[in-house]
Amino acid sequence: MILETQKLVKSFGGLTAVYDVNLHIQEGELVSIIGPNGAGKTTLFNLLTGHISVDSGRVIFKGKDITKLPPHAISRMGIGRSFQRLNIFPRLSAFENVQVAVFSAQRKSRNVFARASKLARQETEAILKSVGLLDKKNIKGALLAHGDQKRLEMGIALAVEPSLLLLDEPTQGMSPRESGELTQLIQKLVGERGLTLIFVEHDMNVVFGISDSIKVLHQGKIIFEGKPDEVKKNEEVQRIYLGDEKGTWSSL
Amino acid sequence: MKSLVNALNSNRFVLLLVLLLFLLIVPLIMKASWVSLVNEMLIMALAGCALNLMLGYTGMVSFGPAGLYAVGAYTTAILLTRYRFPFAIAMISAPILAGIIGGLVGWFCVRRSAVYFALLTLAFAQIIWTILFEWYGFTGGDNGIVSIPIPEFFFTISHCYYLTLIIVGISLLLLWTIVQSPFGKTLQAIRENPGRTEFIAIHLKRYQLAAFVLSSAFLGIAGSLFCVFSGSVFPDYAHWVKSTDMLVICLLGGFYNFGGPIVGSVVYILLSKMISKQTMFWMFFLGVIIVFLVLFMRNGIVGFLSEKLAPVLDKTSGSGPDEGTR
Amino acid sequence: MNLVTFEAIAGQTLSGISVGMVLFLIAAGLSIIFGTLKVLNLAHGSIYMLGGFLCYGFTSTFASVPGVFWWTLLAAPMIVGLVGGLIEIFLLRRIYAQEMLYQYILTFGLILIIGETCKFIWGVGYHTVGAPWPFNGKVSLWGLSFPVYNLFLIGCGFAVFIGLVALMRYTGLGRIIRAVTYHREMANALGINVPKVYTGVFMLGCWLGGLAGTLMPPMSVVALGSDMAVIIECFIIVVIGGLGSLPGAFIGAIILGLLTAFGIYIIPKLAVAFAFMLMIVILIIRPWGLMGKPE
Repeated sequence: MILETQKLVKSFGGLTAVYDVNLHIQEGELVSIIGPNGAGKTTLFNLLTGHISVDSGRVIFKGKDITKLPPHAISRMGIGRSFQRLNIFPRLSAFENVQVAVFSAQRKSRNVFARASKLARQETEAILKSVGLLDKKNIKGALLAHGDQKRLEMGIALAVEPSLLLLDEPTQGMSPRESGELTQLIQKLVGERGLTLIFVEHDMNVVFGISDSIKVLHQGKIIFEGKPDEVKKNEEVQRIYLGDEKGTWSSL
Repeated sequence: MKSLVNALNSNRFVLLLVLLLFLLIVPLIMKASWVSLVNEMLIMALAGCALNLMLGYTGMVSFGPAGLYAVGAYTTAILLTRYRFPFAIAMISAPILAGIIGGLVGWFCVRRSAVYFALLTLAFAQIIWTILFEWYGFTGGDNGIVSIPIPEFFFTISHCYYLTLIIVGISLLLLWTIVQSPFGKTLQAIRENPGRTEFIAIHLKRYQLAAFVLSSAFLGIAGSLFCVFSGSVFPDYAHWVKSTDMLVICLLGGFYNFGGPIVGSVVYILLSKMISKQTMFWMFFLGVIIVFLVLFMRNGIVGFLSEKLAPVLDKTSGSGPDEGTR
Repeated sequence: MNLVTFEAIAGQTLSGISVGMVLFLIAAGLSIIFGTLKVLNLAHGSIYMLGGFLCYGFTSTFASVPGVFWWTLLAAPMIVGLVGGLIEIFLLRRIYAQEMLYQYILTFGLILIIGETCKFIWGVGYHTVGAPWPFNGKVSLWGLSFPVYNLFLIGCGFAVFIGLVALMRYTGLGRIIRAVTYHREMANALGINVPKVYTGVFMLGCWLGGLAGTLMPPMSVVALGSDMAVIIECFIIVVIGGLGSLPGAFIGAIILGLLTAFGIYIIPKLAVAFAFMLMIVILIIRPWGLMGKPE
């Protein structure tokens, strides 16, 4: 088991965002977390990556308790993440965006003497190629099209050589064609690198298309988990969801 | 016109060489007062570039760089005056002490970000100013320290100039190396998106502190050079008005370019001297220029020129992965 | 001097409070401006100094007019407020969207412009203004001789504080200002003319600074350089009390006044540094100040 959480709880003021969440994720699994807006999905991600502190409970990654580790240490251990709202380095070129992450992976970020433009070119270009941005490597991040920026995000996340990747609504704001392309890319990358993937999604086509298992989050609790077929048939889940997401049940 | 600009752009190295040659012969072709002026410009250029390491490259706005600058100046002054240290040691101690104090101050300041960070740097700089101003016994208080015993060799304006040129040259070379390194790129990533960098396993506060310390050390070198240049030091070297001068130099030249503060220093000092010769109310015009700058030329002179020349420049002339900040 | 006598402590406390009140008068304007407009106005000290010079200018030019000081007290802050309005409309408006650094440098440019203008009009010397009747005597409290005018200033400080709090809490104008401060988008959507409110608030802040500048001269001197001296103290007060909180500015001013009074008493040389150290402690432990709200 690559990731386990035990009775995770997080409240903000009077509001409980995450309550008694127990996850058991196996290596190589493709897990999606679905739930209405405000269900606590992003909070859960923030707890896993160490950006907010846990009220109670534990997070165990590859057998180690990472509950109290700072975010950069968790990232170093192998948990990568992409974001709902765009989170790239706008004034750096696509190449530099990925390169800076590669430097970190290669523990070269502290190097003050070498010339950055000469280092890590192959690795950076390899990643750019795998997310389909090699021909756009010199364009500034801010000037890329939205879909390309999402790919760049993925590239940055991959560059740090994660074993577990958390994707927060990767296809948000994309047309169906773009979503399809991104989904294929994700599957390819996961297959190539043997990654474990947890993603939060609202697009049901993506969710039911590629997940090994689905966890349904509602008001901070996991109310159901199982394989895509099981989730489709569950009445409580249907009730919560009717009218909420794009892609209705009948079309799947 | 286009081909001229292209030629200039792709031969940046040659341009630099010409500039260096020019700087080498300045004492031979200019009057002493002009040599002093260029000397001052070089020192402020270094101070500006030191500040810009934090400001333009790492995105950390400091209101108190003059504090560390003064630490450097006073270190050299006190070591030479009170303790009669050898000149070389007094000089080298400046960046060391400035770096250490920068580390102490910086450790507190990086706990906070944005406005609070800036106000913290201001408060610390003012504490340094207060210590310099009040500790009459050690720092000379509001009288400062005058007639500093620098070696007689440097009494000559041209000798002092060459000392400045060599030290500033080496320092700028070091800064350039730092900025072009993986560390430098990481700092730029921090400027662009500090939160994101933690997700690529970068210990944000540690890198920000490192930028602070390096910046402080180079500010210390600049302060030390000014001490030698002017032969005296005063508490106002640490004052927030001096800090604002440094910020204006960076803004005037342009933050997002290595050469920005250098251009800013030259223009600022030149303008100040020219206008102050014309009227006793020269600070009024300086204020007007500053206001104009903020409203209409936010990217500084270098930024402004880059924008205007962009359509003219042939973009395929080898401007590879150096785009974020050159 | 015996540290622990009642007279000594009472004397220093009163001194500290009167200094604090004056500081509050100056800082109140800055606090309001930062609270609503979110601008770090370095030129607020210059606004204060301008008020002081106008006070001297009017009282010396029209010295023969009876009650000239009170007429000046009416006119000078309004003039300063108008100057503030011009600054806001033509300059500040363009940089609200910009980062704090640009605001800092722009307002620094204003310091130079206003300062040199004062130098041009009134010269480089320092000037005094006599305390106006009926506050021009001294009174004896706890064995110490106190200028009556200082007590008047303390009264003014309280009056201004109460007036401002009343304005903010109980009037329609105050409600509009608070709406724009805390819920800008909502206020806009409700049809409130936000740019006009910004201008109005800035003018109010400058009016307050000008008022402080006009009230100060009888207690000290009018001189160039008071702008720089005062602005840092204002920043300290506003940070300690809480950026944008009026009660916070009041408390912060009293604290700074007392700290300075007792600090000078105990360790004169480093009294000034105490204030900065307190500012640092607050910024690190509780950056939103004693009475501000965490964002």
